[in-house]
Amino acid sequence: MDNLKFNLPHGYGVQQLVDELAGHYPVKKEEPLAEKLAFYDTFDWRLYQAGLMLSESAGELCLSQLATHQILQRQKITPLPVFVKDFPDSQLKEQLAPILEMRALLLLVEIQTHSTPYRILNQDEKTVAWLVFEEIKPAGGKEAAGQVWVKPVRGYPKELQQVANHLQIIGCSPAEKDAYLLALEAVGRQPGDYSAKLNIRLDPQLRADEATKVILRFLLNVMKRNEPYVKKDVDPEFLHDFRVAVRRTRSALSQIKNVFPAETTDRFKQDFARIGRLSNDLRDLDVYLLAEDTYRAMLPDILRNSITPLFNYLREKRAEARQKVVAGLNAPEYARVLHDWEAFLAEPPLDSPSAGNAALPIIQLAQDRIYKRYRRIVKSGRQILENTADEQLHALRIEGKKLRYLLEFFAGLFPADEIETLLKQLKRLQDNLGHFNDLCVQEQYLLNVVEELPLNGPSARKTLLAVGGLIGSLDQQRQRVKGEFAKTFTAFASASNRALFQKLFAPEKKEVAE
Amino acid sequence: MKTLAIYSNKGGVGKTAAAVNLSYLAAQAGARTLICDLDPQSSATYYFRIKPKLKAKARGFTKVGRQIENSIKGTDYQNLDLLPADLSHRKLDITFDHLKRSKHRLEKILEPLQDEYDFIILDSPSTINLLAVNIINAVDYVFVPLIPTTLSVRTHAQLLAFCKKHHYNPRKIHPFFSMVDRRKKLHRELMASMSEEFQGVLQNPIPYSSVIERMGLAREPVAVFAPRSAAATAYGNLWAEITERVFLAGQ
Repeated sequence: MDNLKFNLPHGYGVQQLVDELAGHYPVKKEEPLAEKLAFYDTFDWRLYQAGLMLSESAGELCLSQLATHQILQRQKITPLPVFVKDFPDSQLKEQLAPILEMRALLLLVEIQTHSTPYRILNQDEKTVAWLVFEEIKPAGGKEAAGQVWVKPVRGYPKELQQVANHLQIIGCSPAEKDAYLLALEAVGRQPGDYSAKLNIRLDPQLRADEATKVILRFLLNVMKRNEPYVKKDVDPEFLHDFRVAVRRTRSALSQIKNVFPAETTDRFKQDFARIGRLSNDLRDLDVYLLAEDTYRAMLPDILRNSITPLFNYLREKRAEARQKVVAGLNAPEYARVLHDWEAFLAEPPLDSPSAGNAALPIIQLAQDRIYKRYRRIVKSGRQILENTADEQLHALRIEGKKLRYLLEFFAGLFPADEIETLLKQLKRLQDNLGHFNDLCVQEQYLLNVVEELPLNGPSARKTLLAVGGLIGSLDQQRQRVKGEFAKTFTAFASASNRALFQKLFAPEKKEVAE
Repeated sequence: MKTLAIYSNKGGVGKTAAAVNLSYLAAQAGARTLICDLDPQSSATYYFRIKPKLKAKARGFTKVGRQIENSIKGTDYQNLDLLPADLSHRKLDITFDHLKRSKHRLEKILEPLQDEYDFIILDSPSTINLLAVNIINAVDYVFVPLIPTTLSVRTHAQLLAFCKKHHYNPRKIHPFFSMVDRRKKLHRELMASMSEEFQGVLQNPIPYSSVIERMGLAREPVAVFAPRSAAATAYGNLWAEITERVFLAGQ
């Protein structure tokens, strides 16, 4: 059974509560315990989303269930590593690795707790439940908050329930939040307040220009939240999320057609294209460096270490690329674009907008855009099935990405489970096309980088061999991925999927301007 | 995960006291520990103030699974749980005899609990029958309390013969001295000769002590109600020898 936590009745002290209970059960006080606790999670709340919390006290890390505080793993690690790859091998590492992946652990909040345990005994003076009075104080917070926990002893569920019922009779109310959540609240953080996923609620009847601004404001917020961490270089996902938001912004500007004046759209499309380009090199290098272990594993044993000079070189290049990005983000040009953009998004809607689709209800425009994009993909895909050229696969990937963004922007307008189905299908296709594209780009990149790779010493030739080996391995993969396209696409263009697209998006009447 | 039995084919040699105190020490050191009381006399269960009763369907250990897990009780100490004794344990022998793979029933019962605990410690009744076979089959280590008397030498020789007959690895068996009275010359002499005669005898003896007898009144491990007693120290030393010598040698 879960731990049960309660707030004391107003004006009630813990001693009063214990006295009250002592009328029904023998109660025995134990030594109080003072503890300093620090809580960690990733920027996008991966542990919280997985129903977990990670705390540290006196150098000991403790992973527990969020809901029950049941301890899953504990381990002494000092100092605490930022990345899971730097943890010593252990069950804790195994459990964290698939959740945290490449993300950095950030300190969220520190608290002081002072807890006094009381044993609830039966007639044999056996402990059948625990009552723990816990006072918590967030570091830098003003007030301490007090809570009472009823904690179970295995095998005594009836007694636990009796004590919990008693507390409610006395007037204790069940507490929604535990120390962790209260502490987060005290420092102004809300769990789940950042997610890389789009979650935009739109009223279907909202004017298209207004609705588009809602989407764009959401994306601007993602950029602004990630930007400081991009500059600090905390982990590569900050840049990734930042770039995705920029790309989605550009996509929204060109995909959601005729909702703003053309010159405004054009200007910002160019501005955001420049901002995107700023970090192209850095992102590419991040991708190669994140895949370092995978690349090494592709090579035969005898060449596995010979690839090291390549990665050392990429790391040097990354340092340069990073400086370029930081300089770009600190430049007045970037600040000006963001300022103008924010001002534009804050403008009230025009009474008589010039753009043809501005005053349409957003649902109508969304349906039109998605349906057209879907049909175009099916048509292009069918042509590729007959004659597969790499360039066409690349073009199809871009089309697919546009459709995916549209579906994500407007997901809130349609039944969640159906959108989910479509996105899942599309994701399978995009994964295939994306993988194919990555492999093409990587092969080409390695071929180019060899030209500039500074090579000297006796192992230089071996390094070249290793790069060659890598290209060979990537090329084999590329052929295989290409071979899977037909099956993946046929699944995407299936009759049932088509019926769903038709049902959700097919137009009843045509009055949308191109 | 390690499984241990405190076992002897002789009664009144300090099995339950050892099982209770060693389990407590294991749990105190941070290991998730389960003590299983297989003795129908239910002394270990009594020491932990728990009622000697299993869930109806867990009785006789005829079925594996939830009913066994639901019968487990938390003790008053962190990390330490107990699977209580039950009157039906009197007939475990006969019950097992009627089941398939009758020599491995206990192993099967403990299997699902292995992920949950670092140590499973069995407190067994004095017996040398099918239940004994089950116990020895189920565990990694058998710890045998020996009182330094001539009669004990005989019973231990019997146990070793029994193991030989069933092809058990004698290295599984680790005798330790129990209820030792150092003032008796005979005890000292026998301890020396038994250490020579039998393999792997542990060198930290448990003394004969009124503190250990008081466990029945206190209903707590000696380290809880008499932490500075010679008995508490002796169990501490024995557990240290077991973790440092026996477990490490096994790896």
